[in-house]
Amino acid sequence: MKGWDGLVSSALLGTDRRPAHFEELPEHIQERLGDGNLLDAAALATVYKRAGRKPLRELEPLPAAPGEDRPLPRPVAIRRLAAMLGGFQTSALGEWLRAADARGWGVPPEHLPALADYARHRAEYRPLVMAAAGRRARWLADLNPEWRYLHAAVAESNDPEMWTHGNTIQRRTWLRAIRSQDPAAAREALAEVWPTESAATRVDFLSLLADGLSLLDEDFLESALDDRSREVRRGAARLLARLPGSQYGERMTERLHSHLTSTQGVLAVDLPRRIAQSMERDGLDSQNPEGIGKRAWWFLQIVANTPLSAMETAWLKTAVEGCAPEVLQAGWTEAAIRESSEEWARALLRAESSTGDRSPAELLRLLPADEWARAVDVLRQTVDVAELVGGLPVPWPPSLATMILDQLAKVGTNRAWARLASITARAAPPDVLNHPITREPTGEEDTWRRRLVETLTFRSEMYEELS
Amino acid sequence: MGLWDVERVLGLAPDAASAKAGQGLARGEKWTESGASERAIWGLCQGSGKQPYQTAVELSGPAYKCSCPSRKFPCKHALGLLLLWTAGEVRSADEPEWVTTWLDQRAARADRPERKPGEVADPIAAQQRASRRTDRVSSGMAELKGWLDDQVRVGLGGFDQRAYTELSRLAARMVDAQAPGVAGAVRRAAAVVGRGHGWPGELLEELSLIHLIVSAHDRLSELPPSLADTVQTRIGWTIETARVAVEGEKVEDDWLVLGRVIEPDDRLTVRRVWLRGATTGRLGLLLSFAAAGRPLDPLPARPGEYVPGALSFYPGALPMRALLTQTAPRLPAPQPTGLTAHQALKSYVESVAADPWNERWPLVLQDVRPARHGDGWALVDADGDGLEILPGWDVLKLLAVSAGDPITVSGEWNRAGLRPMTCWHGERPVIL
Repeated sequence: MKGWDGLVSSALLGTDRRPAHFEELPEHIQERLGDGNLLDAAALATVYKRAGRKPLRELEPLPAAPGEDRPLPRPVAIRRLAAMLGGFQTSALGEWLRAADARGWGVPPEHLPALADYARHRAEYRPLVMAAAGRRARWLADLNPEWRYLHAAVAESNDPEMWTHGNTIQRRTWLRAIRSQDPAAAREALAEVWPTESAATRVDFLSLLADGLSLLDEDFLESALDDRSREVRRGAARLLARLPGSQYGERMTERLHSHLTSTQGVLAVDLPRRIAQSMERDGLDSQNPEGIGKRAWWFLQIVANTPLSAMETAWLKTAVEGCAPEVLQAGWTEAAIRESSEEWARALLRAESSTGDRSPAELLRLLPADEWARAVDVLRQTVDVAELVGGLPVPWPPSLATMILDQLAKVGTNRAWARLASITARAAPPDVLNHPITREPTGEEDTWRRRLVETLTFRSEMYEELS
Repeated sequence: MGLWDVERVLGLAPDAASAKAGQGLARGEKWTESGASERAIWGLCQGSGKQPYQTAVELSGPAYKCSCPSRKFPCKHALGLLLLWTAGEVRSADEPEWVTTWLDQRAARADRPERKPGEVADPIAAQQRASRRTDRVSSGMAELKGWLDDQVRVGLGGFDQRAYTELSRLAARMVDAQAPGVAGAVRRAAAVVGRGHGWPGELLEELSLIHLIVSAHDRLSELPPSLADTVQTRIGWTIETARVAVEGEKVEDDWLVLGRVIEPDDRLTVRRVWLRGATTGRLGLLLSFAAAGRPLDPLPARPGEYVPGALSFYPGALPMRALLTQTAPRLPAPQPTGLTAHQALKSYVESVAADPWNERWPLVLQDVRPARHGDGWALVDADGDGLEILPGWDVLKLLAVSAGDPITVSGEWNRAGLRPMTCWHGERPVIL
């Protein structure tokens, strides 16, 4: 404003030294000022300035995010989402997002910043948050560098620059995406840079070939068995063992036959006396872990890596000569998990076999879900139920959840059941959430029973609100 | 009167710390000249000062009197004395004069009939109090005027060295002069000093507006009554809520809650709830205060809802602050209509014309879109005119709701920018 700076410099130096001049001030101020002093003039000018403020011009509004929004669920559902983001029953957040997405609901946009922050360090939430953000995902990703993951990975990864000049994470993303679209192209791209990559990167990138694995990859993986790095050799062996019809499988089958024969209703085992170089090349570990002898360990690994098609489930009921049957059972468990064999898993569980280092849950999950309840009921005699069901994917089938809740309803509040209750509270499927246990009194104390009922009720209300 | 048990005494403590401190004082050696009569107990307790504190408890109330400066009620001395008494360590004695006087005064007050709201207990005494205060304020204003004139005469240059201590001293003087409003203005001026290159100009603005209060106070009797009320309010005269409820201008409407701003502070949390009448279009402000860590009173409705009721406005040239008497349950409200940036600034100018000291103003902006503005953000209306958002305010929620589309936003405007309070996502209000 005209004349204002003059007032400020008079005020700074003092009117004794620099008397104030008012001639430069706007006329309106001079008229009203009369014989007023510097402070009177400054007061008038201050209000004059404030009143004369103009809107900003030449601003460029952000471009609008294109697309349509989904309809929003009811206000109660939105309030529950806000409560979870505020720290109440937050572990059900992913379930809310999945359920809302499945029913076609959108997420109120004001909660997206909190969700995007939440998923920043929790990769498993990212696809959910991307779906929730809808048309706003990329728009928000441009606003906050910390939310860059909201950019759809596929769109970015088509750029070969990502592979040739990106950082490790970007290159990994690129390779993973290409592998799912064109497995051969991914393998060739990897083979091209193979000799110059570090061992850690080779191990990491090699593991991505698990997706879309086929016999076309065999030559590359065979050559990786001669890699400088032991970890790379192991990784290649693991992949080859998962490849039906491979030469690797044939080599293992040959080894098995030279150490195990089925004669006269007996499995005769002749444990290896030494570990050949060719065996080590195929990823067999010469060093035995604690609790098992060297030779038994070598044999166990041969069994574990032999194609199941070369073996028979009937062997589970056959007498064993020459080694402890548990060695064979542990090997078959590994093989069943490697090949995801429902038949072998069922047979091993039925025979109450030793599962070695593995949890029986890893076999259990290979069975169809509707068999779980029955299998758990049998296994509970010998195995800790919480450990068994804790390894199963959620949500459980209704039969399993109902069976466990029925049991929990009967056992009072003994602390021994707390872990099973806490697992079940999260794993019970939507149509079991109103199990009779939720209508029984829980008492005022903070027991596992009370927390179980609270969580089941919370989830039940959540689904109700989203329906 | 029989002795009380310890639990009953501790049950009177305002908090755990007081209870503990009281127990520490429940020892005979801490007290002198203690005694008990049928109706009261009393004693002298040596504190940190030279004079011992005089503590007395009337047992029927119970009511407490203590000369200590504590704001706890009852204070630790009263609790300590009671505990000492429950232990049987306070002997019967004749009431000393200071106890008798206090008890008699209480008895006399209790005999008086209940007052109606707004009615003054003792008109003559109240008038005397008011006139004493007027004198103190006047002498405070005279002192401030002299100080301001001196500053301008010798210059604000070099002020950044001495400003803080000098302005703080001055603010304290204004509190003594019972002009807390002016004290606050002086503190705000102190905060400007040395901040950024433009601080001398900012300081001159602040000081000139304080000068304006002082000059207006000089001519209080010549001002229109409503403006005189505004000046009084700015100086820091408070008006009893009971009087506002009875005498204040009343406007009935369905009041849309435009939003609320909460300013937490170390000592006092302030909440401003801004309202707009659905039919009258009148704006109103509900102020609430709470000591740090204490809850504020509940909101009459959520932002974006109507609360049907009557506002009783505090007097002034720009009547904004009001008391709400709710007459019906809150209701959902549609998305409000709003202003362009140009109209919004115009409404603020009108408020400044009525009250030149007005700092905050509620705005509803319609069809605005977010835009970058320097390091910060602004909201741009359909004409391309923009208002800046308060620097440093977290805009991400607002941006996520808008996604670049035009939206309606309510906010609190001050010179630094708009502080958004509520925005509307379609018909759905979103609290920011």
